[in-house]
Formats: sequence, structure tokens, C-alpha cells
Amino acid sequence: MARPVAVDTVSAAVLPLAAVRPHPLRRFARRYPLGAAGTFLIVAMLLLGIFANRVAPYDPVAADFGAMFIRPGPGHWFGTDAFGRDVLSRLLFGARTALVIGFASSIIGATIGAVVGVISAYFGGTTDLVLQRLVDILISFPIIILAMAIVAILGTGTINLIVAIALSFIPRAERVVRASALAIRATVYVEAARAIGAGHWRIIFRHMAPNVGAPYLVMLTAFLGQAILLEASLSFLGLGVSEPTPAWGLMLSGAAVNFARQAPWMAIFPGLAISIAVLAFNVLGDALRDALDPRLRT
Amino acid sequence: MSRYVVTRFLLMIPTLLAVAVLIFLLVRVVPGDIVELRLVSGGTYVTKDVIQAERARLGLNKPIWNQFVDWMVGLVRLDFGVSMWSGDKITHEIAIRLQLSLELAILATIIATVLAIPLGTLAAVRRGTWIDQAVQLFSVAGLAVPSFWLGILMILFFLTYFDWLPPLTFTPLWQNPAANLAQLIWPALAVGYRYSAVAARMTRSAMLEVLREDYIRTAWSKGLNRPVILWRHALRNALLPVTTVIGLEFAFLIGGLVVTEQVFNLNGIGKLIVDAISHRDYTLIQGLMLLVAAGYILANFIVDIVYAWLDPRISYG
Repeated sequence: MARPVAVDTVSAAVLPLAAVRPHPLRRFARRYPLGAAGTFLIVAMLLLGIFANRVAPYDPVAADFGAMFIRPGPGHWFGTDAFGRDVLSRLLFGARTALVIGFASSIIGATIGAVVGVISAYFGGTTDLVLQRLVDILISFPIIILAMAIVAILGTGTINLIVAIALSFIPRAERVVRASALAIRATVYVEAARAIGAGHWRIIFRHMAPNVGAPYLVMLTAFLGQAILLEASLSFLGLGVSEPTPAWGLMLSGAAVNFARQAPWMAIFPGLAISIAVLAFNVLGDALRDALDPRLRT
Repeated sequence: MSRYVVTRFLLMIPTLLAVAVLIFLLVRVVPGDIVELRLVSGGTYVTKDVIQAERARLGLNKPIWNQFVDWMVGLVRLDFGVSMWSGDKITHEIAIRLQLSLELAILATIIATVLAIPLGTLAAVRRGTWIDQAVQLFSVAGLAVPSFWLGILMILFFLTYFDWLPPLTFTPLWQNPAANLAQLIWPALAVGYRYSAVAARMTRSAMLEVLREDYIRTAWSKGLNRPVILWRHALRNALLPVTTVIGLEFAFLIGGLVVTEQVFNLNGIGKLIVDAISHRDYTLIQGLMLLVAAGYILANFIVDIVYAWLDPRISYG
């Protein structure tokens, strides 16, 4: 008999509170409309990328020489390219390529960088010194140059591209996370953990790593935008994914300029897709940074 | 001050040396023999003798520490070795392209600075108004739009309306300044947009920070007029971090040049890097990586010196 009463009191107590404090996600959306718009675009892109095979009106790789350079219109919304391939379908499948490479490389790069950063901050001394000098050197290359050098070693292709981009992110991630981890190392709870005899790895992974979550998340979002831009740039240069894989950067290389007068849509839509994707991740990253790290707010 | 400059200059040497070691090792990490990889990358069959001869020509048959010493001795004499692809001296390959890329980088920097500082200042002063929002949109877009696409759009525009295509050959500045500028201004804009977006963002936030300072409030309450407060009191102090961003981004411009030079068909350092990587020209890659890193280290040095000169509070013994 007592149970239903208890449930009632709980809901009665919770409901008015909920009315005062809306869901955190809703609060985020109200406070950072741009961030919410970015999230919406990212979700839309993810859905379109995942269901590209159902949404795309045509096969993205099948050439149709009877349908070359068709203007954007009812049959082909974004027109067709030099091989008669539907530009819209290639864009949708290209979203899949961009997002797979973007997410894989950003998550790998940010995570390895974060772990190394926490380790460097925790151990300090010689470990820190050696790691920091190494990071100093790697940071003196623009990301794209570093990624290109790694492509020169590994060769092109989707997997190698993911590795190249991920490796180029590591030193930058390390820097960001190390700075936060240094502050955490000095906190009382880390001292307490050491006092009760916790081992190095337990302190690193159970006490320090979870507390660099905020900078990690902000960094990850920023990396996602950069990774998509990098993938597009490398594919554009012929050092990324190769034909016939649909990729936005690849769609802009060669043919797009050669046929600029005949078929400007071939150059316009893929670039628009890259810009919107990168913009979405960047505005979300900015909003997350403002929300999670008030010190950085400007 | 002069002592600081000298010490700071000497400090670059160990950094450069460490960079050289890392690059040298990086190229040796390549799985397999780089000569074999390079020669068979075209799908052709080559005999062992040819590979051996090529290895001997490049000095790759020597022990690894010997190769490193050779490379170092060469570097001291500004000799980067020979390209595996063209067989030309790497120093020569770089020298004939450096002018174009440097000019492009300087033009982009001028464009970026001229755009960013007024825009960033305006946004900070008019914080929260539509002007601020427009400037923020300008910089957010600048970070998202790929410079090669911007270049393609420019070409598209000029081709459609003016029937103009980027010329195939480069006109040096001293031969015909007008033609040279007409050729380089558009790629400079394409690269400079991102650059100015970064710098405008930095200017805005630095200005916002400075405008909150006590001495600015004092200046207002003294009844100084607006331009004096904004230009002499605020902007001067806000420009310190902006200098850093402009200086370091200058060194990173090469990252934008690799794609932009490709679009505008310019034979500069950026294109050389792309070619070196597509040809798997490892000796050239090695030299170019060192050049890029040296550029960054030098830019860092200059930023530090400018900083010490701009801010009298900074005095390093």
C-alpha cells in the first residue's frame, strides 16, 4: 500500500522542478541556437549518409554515357557529371565517406592524444620532457603537411587516410589534454587516491581521464570539422580516397575545373557540401566550448 | 634586447637538429626499400642492378648513421641532396619556386591583416549588434570553406563573365608587376580568407578582453575621446596576441598553398610538395619537410622578437 503513495510523492516532487529546469539538451539549444543548428545538420548528414543507399535516386558509381552533363532539374536535382553519374547520389554517398573518415580519424587521434597527454602530465619529469619535445616538433608542421607525409609513407586509400589524419591529430590533442590534466593532477582527490595506495594506471584512467572529458569533447568536435576538410583536401590532391569511391574532395578535382563552363554544378554542389559539413561541426564545437568551459568564453 | 635576440637565435639550432633527426627517421620508416618503391610505383619491372645503381647514386647503400652525417654535412652547406624523381638538385628545385610561394604568402598576409584587424575591432566595439554577428559569420565561414573550392569558384566566375583562365606561366614581379599581381591576387585571396577569419576572431576576442580593463574605464572617465581610447589605448594592447596568430599562421600558409597552387596552376612550393608525394620522391620529401619546419621555427623566432619589442614588460635576460 505504501508503494503507490511513494511513487506519487516522487512524481509530484519532480514535476514542478522539471518545469523550472528544462531538459539540459533543451537548455543548450535555447542558449546556443547556432550549436543546435549545427547538431541538427550533423544528425541530418548522419542519417543521409547511413541510409544513402535508400535515399540516393541513382547508383553513385555507375556511368551512364547517355546522360552526361545533364543540368540540374527534375530528373537529376543536382545534375550529372562527365560520366553521367548523378551528382546528388554521389554527394549522399560522399557524406558516408566523409563521416566515416571524419569520425574514425578524429576519435582515434583525439583518444590516443588524450591518453598520452594525461600520461605526460601525470608522470611529469623526464617522460613529460621527452614527450613535449617530440610534440613540439610535430606541431611545427601544418596538419595537412603532416598528413601528406604520412600518406607518402603508407600510400593512399581509405584506411591509410584515416591513419594519416589520426596521427596528425595526436600531437595537437596531446597538448590540449595535457594542459587540463596538469591542473587535475594537482587536485586533492588525486592526492587522496595516491594516499590510499592507488596504482599509476588506476589514477590515470579512473581519476584523471574522466575529468578531462570536457576539453576532450570540445576538441573532438573541432577535429571532426578539420578531418572532413582534410579528407576533402587530400582527395582533391589525389592523395586521399581514389576513384570510383564517391568523395566530395574527389568530385572537385580535375573534372570540375575542366568542365567549369559546361557544367558549373559539378563544382558548386560538392564544395557546398564540404562547407556545410565543416561549418556544422565548427559551430557545434564553439557552442560546446562555451557551454562546457566558461573560462574560454569571449 | 640584443642579448635576448642572440640567445633566442642560438636556441633554434637544437630544435632544427631534432626536427632533422625526426624527418630523417620518418623517411626510413617507409616499409620496404624506398628506391624499389619509387622505381616500381609506375608498375614497371626493374632489375636488381638498376635498383643497386640508384641506391649507390643516392648514397642509400651506406650505413644509416653515415647517411645521416652525409645529409647533415650537406645541409650545413645548404645542399639538400638530389631529387629521386627529376635527378635535379633539391636546392635548385626549391629555389626556382620559392619566389612565387613567398610572394603569394606575403600577399595573403597583407590581405588577411587588412581585413582582419578592422573587422575584429569593429565587431568587438559593436559587440552584440548585427555588425558583430556579420563579422562572426564571416570568420565562421572562413574556417569552413575549403580554399581550393573558393579558388574553383573564382575561376568559374572569371571564366563565365570575363573569359579569363589562370595563365599557364608565371610572370615574375620585376618583369611585369601588373601581370604578376593580376595572376597572384586571386589565389592570395583564396588562401587569405581563412587566414583573415582566424585573425579576425583573435582580434575580436583580444579587443573584448582589453576593453574590460581598468585603464580603459579610466580613459573613458577622464573624458578622452573615442578614437584615442580605441586606437591608442585598446587596439595597441590587443594587437599582441594578434601578432602571434598572424606570425604563426604565416608559417602555416604552406598548408593552404598546397591546394591553392594546384587550383590556380601555379608552380610553387605547395605544388612541389604535392608532386613529391605523388611521385614518392623521398629525398625531396625529406628536404621539403625540413624547409616547412624551418619556416615555422623561424616564424616563431620572429614572433618572439617582435613580442619583446612591442611589449616592454617582456625582458628576458
